[in-house]
Amino acid sequence: MQGNHKKQVLLVGNPNVGKSTVFNALCNKKQKTGNYAGVTVASHSGYYMYQNEEVEVVDLPGSYSIYPSSEDEAIFSKFVMDNQKDYAGVIYILEALSLKRGLLLFQQIQDLGIPMILVVNQIDQAERRGISIDIQKFSEALGIKIIQTNAKEQIGIEEIKEAVLQNDFVKTSVQSFETPAEHKDFIQKVASHKGIDNEYKAWLGLSLGTDLERISSVVEQINEPDSKSLVPKRLQVQETVRRYQHIDKILSDVISKKPQFKELLTEKLDKILVHKFWGYIVFMMILLIIFQSVFFLAEYPMNWIDDFFAWLSAFTGEHLPQGPLNSLISNGIVPGIGGIVIFAPQIGILLYFLYLLEDSGYMARVVFLMDRILRPFGLNGKSIVPLVSGTACAIPAVISTRNIENVKERLLTILVTPFMTCSARLPVYSIIIGLIISDGTFLGIKYKALVLMGMYLLGFVVALFSAAILNKFIKNKGKTYLVMDLPTYKKPLFGYDFKMVLGKVWDFITGAGKIIFIVSIIIWFLSYFGPKQKPDQFVATNVELDHSYLAKMGKGIEPVIAPLGYDWKMGVGILTSFVAREVFVGTMSTLYSLEDDAPEVKVIDKMRRDVKPDGEKVFSFATGISVLLFYAFAMQCVSTLAVVYRETKSWKWTAFQVVMMTGLAYFVSMFAYQILK
Amino acid sequence: MGLHKLSGFPKNRMGKILGYDNDSLKMPNKIIEMGLLPETSFRILYQAPFKGPMYVEFGEEKSRIALREEEGNFIIVEELN
Repeated sequence: MQGNHKKQVLLVGNPNVGKSTVFNALCNKKQKTGNYAGVTVASHSGYYMYQNEEVEVVDLPGSYSIYPSSEDEAIFSKFVMDNQKDYAGVIYILEALSLKRGLLLFQQIQDLGIPMILVVNQIDQAERRGISIDIQKFSEALGIKIIQTNAKEQIGIEEIKEAVLQNDFVKTSVQSFETPAEHKDFIQKVASHKGIDNEYKAWLGLSLGTDLERISSVVEQINEPDSKSLVPKRLQVQETVRRYQHIDKILSDVISKKPQFKELLTEKLDKILVHKFWGYIVFMMILLIIFQSVFFLAEYPMNWIDDFFAWLSAFTGEHLPQGPLNSLISNGIVPGIGGIVIFAPQIGILLYFLYLLEDSGYMARVVFLMDRILRPFGLNGKSIVPLVSGTACAIPAVISTRNIENVKERLLTILVTPFMTCSARLPVYSIIIGLIISDGTFLGIKYKALVLMGMYLLGFVVALFSAAILNKFIKNKGKTYLVMDLPTYKKPLFGYDFKMVLGKVWDFITGAGKIIFIVSIIIWFLSYFGPKQKPDQFVATNVELDHSYLAKMGKGIEPVIAPLGYDWKMGVGILTSFVAREVFVGTMSTLYSLEDDAPEVKVIDKMRRDVKPDGEKVFSFATGISVLLFYAFAMQCVSTLAVVYRETKSWKWTAFQVVMMTGLAYFVSMFAYQILK
Repeated sequence: MGLHKLSGFPKNRMGKILGYDNDSLKMPNKIIEMGLLPETSFRILYQAPFKGPMYVEFGEEKSRIALREEEGNFIIVEELN
C-alpha cells in the first residue's frame, strides 16, 4: 500500500435499496463525485472522518447476485472478489421491504468469507405495511449484528460509523450454502488442489465458469467422471434455489405480518403511471415540463450571465492596454467563455430533473412503458435511460448502458446515444438559429423555439433509425430479455442531487473553459503570424487575417468544406469542434474579434454581416441549416469517444462510430446546402 | 386445467408458480435470482400495450417485477382460488 492509513469499506446491496441515501448520509461533507476515470471502479467514493479515523466509502453498483448478468454487475462482482486485501469489509444494505431478495447476495458475500456489517434500512416502511421484523431473532439467524437505519432521517448513521471504527465486521465460519452432495467430493478435491480453504470459492470457480479452462487440467488429474455435467448455468440455478429455500426458512421465523395490508403509495401511483394510455401521456408531459423549464426557467439566470460577460468584456476592453491582445481577451476569450457559461443554467436544470427522475424510481416505469416500442429498433426498454440522459451529456449516458444485459442491445445503444441532442450542441444551435431564423411566431410559439425543438426531435429520430439499420448488420450474441425490478417510489434526494448537479455543471464550465481558452490562444497566434512577406523576414507578424497562417490552413481545408457551404472560418470552427462541440462558439468569437476594425460591434452582428468574396452572406439560410445538421450528426467530442472506447473495449466500434456519424453529417449537410442555396 | 404459462395468465387473478420450462437452459437466471421461485404466489397487475412487458406483483413481500412475455413463457403457473 502507498502508506495511507485510510480504511476502505464497500457499500453493497441490491439496486434501489437506498444505498446512495446511506452513502450520502455517511459522506455528507467530502465526496468525490462524477468519478468516471477508473475502469474498475464504476461508481464514486466518498470520505468521512470519525474519531480521528479517515474512512473511504466505495459505493459499488447495485447487484442481485454474485453471478453477473450485466456489465455493472460484472464490475461489482470483480471488485468485491479481487480487491479483498484492500478493503476492511463490506457494509451490506438490506431494504426492510425486500429482505428476501437482499439476503441472496448477502449470503453469497458472507460465504466468501468477507467481513461484513449488516444494515437494515427503512424499517418504518415495513411497519407501515404491517410487517414487523424480529431484529433479535434475525440477527441470531444470520450470525451478525444488525444496524437499523432510516438513512433519510440520519437515524442509525452514527452506529454504522461506530461499527466501522470498532471493526465490527463479522466473518462467518459456517457457510449458509452447503455444496450439493453430488458435487461435494469434486469441489473439495478442486479446493485442495488449488489450495483454497473456502469451499464456496472453489464452487464459484466452477459455477462462474471462469475457472473451467484452468480447472479442466485439474479435472483430468483427479479423474472426475462427473465433470461433464458441471454446466455453470445449472450450478447457478441450483445454488440460487437452495439459498432461497434457506432464506425462506429464516424469514418465516423472523417476520410476522398483520392480516391487513396498507396500500403503498407506489401501488396508487402505478395505477396511472404505468397505465397503457395515461402512462404515456404522463411521460410525455414530464418531458414537456422538463424542456419548458430548460428553456423558460433558465432564461432569467441566462440574462444575468449575459449581462455580466458583456460588462466584463467592456471592462477588459477599456482597462487593458490597447492592441491585438486587448481584442483577443475582451472580444475573443471573454465572450467565448461567456458563450459557454451562459448555458450552465439550462444544463443544470436538465440534469437536475434527470437525477430526480432516476432517484424517484420512475425511470423503471419508463423502461416498462418503452420496452415494446424500442424493440423493433433493436434496442431494449432500458435503452430509454441513456437516450433521455443523452440530452444532457453523452458521457454519463454511455456509462449508464451498463445495466443492459444483452451485448448487442448495449452496443447499439452506445452507438446511437451520441445522436441525441446533448447540451454542448445548445450553444451552437442557439447562435446559428439566432443568425438564420426570423423572429416571427407560429401559433404563439417562436419560430426559433420551434426549430430548436425540431433539432431535438431530429436527434431522437435519427438515433432510432440508425439503431434499426445497425440492428440488421450486427450479429446478436446471447438472448435478449427484460427482467427488471420495479422499485417502490422514493422521495428524491433533492439536496444531494442539487449538489451533484452543481459539481457536474462546474466540471462542464471549467472543462470547456480550459479548452476554449487554449484554443483561443492558439487561434490568436496562428492569426497574428503569417508566411513571410519580405525575403528577410522569418515570419510576418501582425498580419491581416487573410494573410495569416490560420487563413492559410483554413483555406487549405476549404475545398473539403465548400460543398457544405462553409467558408474557411467556419472550417476552423468545425475543426476545433472535434475536441468538443461547444468550442465552436469560442472559436467564432475569437475569429470575429480578430478583425478589430469595429471592436464595439457584437460578435454575432459581425457574423451576421460577414460576406463571402462574391457578396453572398457567410451565414445564409442554406449554410445555417447545413451547420445545424452537421452538428446534429457529427461525432465531435473527444471525451465521448474515450468513454465509448472504454465501454466497448473496441477500436473497431469506436472508429466505426466516428466514421458513421461524421460521414452522415457530411453528406446530409452537403445535400441540404446544395438544395437550399 | 390448472397448468398455464405466466404469459397469457389472466390479469388481476392470483396464481402460483409451479416450476419452469427450462430444459434448454435458455431461461435467464435473473428470473430466479429476483425471487420468482416455485411456490411463489403472484398477480399480473398491468401489461404494456401491444403485448409489451408484464407488471407482476409476487411473493410475501409483494415485490414488483417487469418481464416480457418471452420470459413469462418459461414459467409454469397455476391459478389460485
